[in-house]
Amino acid sequence: MFERALKGLRLQFGTQMLSVATVALSLFCMGAALLALENTGAMVRRWGAPVKVTVFLAEGVSLEQVDTLRRALTGLPEVEDARYVSSAEARQSLSAGGDATVASAPVELFPATIELRLVPSAVTADRVASVAARVRRIPAVSEVETYRGFTERLRGLLAGGRAAAGIVALGVLLCVLAVVSNTVRMSLAARLREIEVLRLVGATRAYIRTPFLVEGAMLGGVGAVVAVAVLAMVYATLRSHFDASLGTLLGVHPVFLPWTVSMLLIVGGAGLGALGSAAALRRGLQS
Amino acid sequence: MGRSRASQEFRPHFRPEGHFDRTAAHKPILVLENVLKVFRADAPVLRGVDLTIERGEFVFVTGPSGAGKSTLLKLIYRAESVDDGRILFCGRDIARLTEDSIPHLRRNIGVVFQDFRLVPYWTVYENVAVALEVMGLQPRVVRSRVALALERVGLDGRGDERVSVLSGGEQQRVTIARAIVTEPAIVLADEPTGNLDPVLALDILGLFEEINEAGTTVIFATHDRTLLEVSPRRLVVIDDGRCIEARKGLEGLGDALEHRALN
Ligand SMILES: Nc1ncnc2c1ncn2[C@@H]1O[C@H](COP(=O)(O)OP(=O)(O)OP(=O)(O)O)[C@@H](O)[C@H]1O
Ligand SMILES: [Mg+2]
Repeated sequence: MFERALKGLRLQFGTQMLSVATVALSLFCMGAALLALENTGAMVRRWGAPVKVTVFLAEGVSLEQVDTLRRALTGLPEVEDARYVSSAEARQSLSAGGDATVASAPVELFPATIELRLVPSAVTADRVASVAARVRRIPAVSEVETYRGFTERLRGLLAGGRAAAGIVALGVLLCVLAVVSNTVRMSLAARLREIEVLRLVGATRAYIRTPFLVEGAMLGGVGAVVAVAVLAMVYATLRSHFDASLGTLLGVHPVFLPWTVSMLLIVGGAGLGALGSAAALRRGLQS
Repeated sequence: MGRSRASQEFRPHFRPEGHFDRTAAHKPILVLENVLKVFRADAPVLRGVDLTIERGEFVFVTGPSGAGKSTLLKLIYRAESVDDGRILFCGRDIARLTEDSIPHLRRNIGVVFQDFRLVPYWTVYENVAVALEVMGLQPRVVRSRVALALERVGLDGRGDERVSVLSGGEQQRVTIARAIVTEPAIVLADEPTGNLDPVLALDILGLFEEINEAGTTVIFATHDRTLLEVSPRRLVVIDDGRCIEARKGLEGLGDALEHRALN
């Protein structure tokens, strides 16, 4: 079977290579979309739920009260660490960029805060909200900032990315089906005499069809392998350029597609190819 | 000879599960009963064809162009199916075969055409071997049987040549080798000499007669009068949708062929 399919591939090498390239290009787009999604996902996991909460203190809170509060906050199971930032420190850190107006502003404009760092494993949107609600009820606290806006924007980005990837995937699916089905149709047309002879000497339906199904699966599968290989190369090149600066800035390190997803792309490519081929056979091998 | 014995003993497996029918060997190889074939409702091609062909017979089928010779052969290897009546091949009604069984029927029938129907980009060997390969035989068996078949048609040692470079006569020998390589019970030839010059035509006819002498039933459709004259075989004329026995002299034949000459 395999041998007969290869014989067919040799017969129209140029066309077959062209269709492998097209399949590879489409699946490359899909892989790239998945890769982008994968990395946005990692970023959202890192930043999506805030690990940082800022507790603004009411005016005129004494240092003793601050210390009691800080200790109480540290005692919460969600809190990993609580650090007091006085008004003066806040002004200093904000003016660190060399901004003279900030540095000369009155210290009362910069409220003292306690910066909470949460235990990352305990962080979910609900628990952060409940911690914030509890802390907000404490009289010495004026406001609690959980940075939800940022979180929600990130999540929105991810959802949008998913939708876009879905559309890309659908386009790629149709494209691969069409390309393989057309290639197999040409292959069929070029081998009509052969098929006629096979029928005449008593070949079964499966005997006639299988090489074409194998051919379609090979077109899809080889295209997918090429796509994943090129994607890995592009990824490696990009990472070597950006890793150091971008990685530390974002606090996340780029990842490639998990091997299961890569395998799925290849198997899916082969499956789609076989499906496209079956469609061509349905139309091309009637009677 | 070994091969003549093999072709006489009939092993039909029309059905994938292949029941061996012991009584089949004693029945006529082919019986057509009241066969009707209609392409256009106003003019049936065959209407009420009755024909019995015994095992080992050589039968010419002739008749004017468009009489239905090709159609008759197509009905036998199930490229077409009857609209009414029965065709019994070794006692089994092939009109009732399922799609899945048709390939198994065809493995018991060799077919040769006027236009050869070879795969031009295959070699001689590949074109003959295909008939055995579809049956899933071992490559070793395929090789030896193809060599034997090529020898029988006078093409021994030429298996590696591409068929597209062969002459018409040589190509027809390749198709004959393909038809007999499976040692089928019956060989159908649809104007196998139509594309060949008269001398070659006689050669090819001789080849079919040898095949027949080795025990294979042959049905030979032609309107080449010379062939009918040199070979005193049973002759069936299709005329007006029916089969008429026309041997014992060529008298009845004259009119039928005259008819064709006018066309
Ligand atoms: N598939 C088909 N559809 C419609 N009509 C057909 C079909 N096959 C054959 N016919 C018609 O049936 C008639 C018999 O055709 P057939 O090919 O059997 O004739 P023939 O005796 O072999 O003629 P020739 O000597 O020219 O080969 C013709 O009139 C032809 O037009
Ligand atoms: Mg004809």
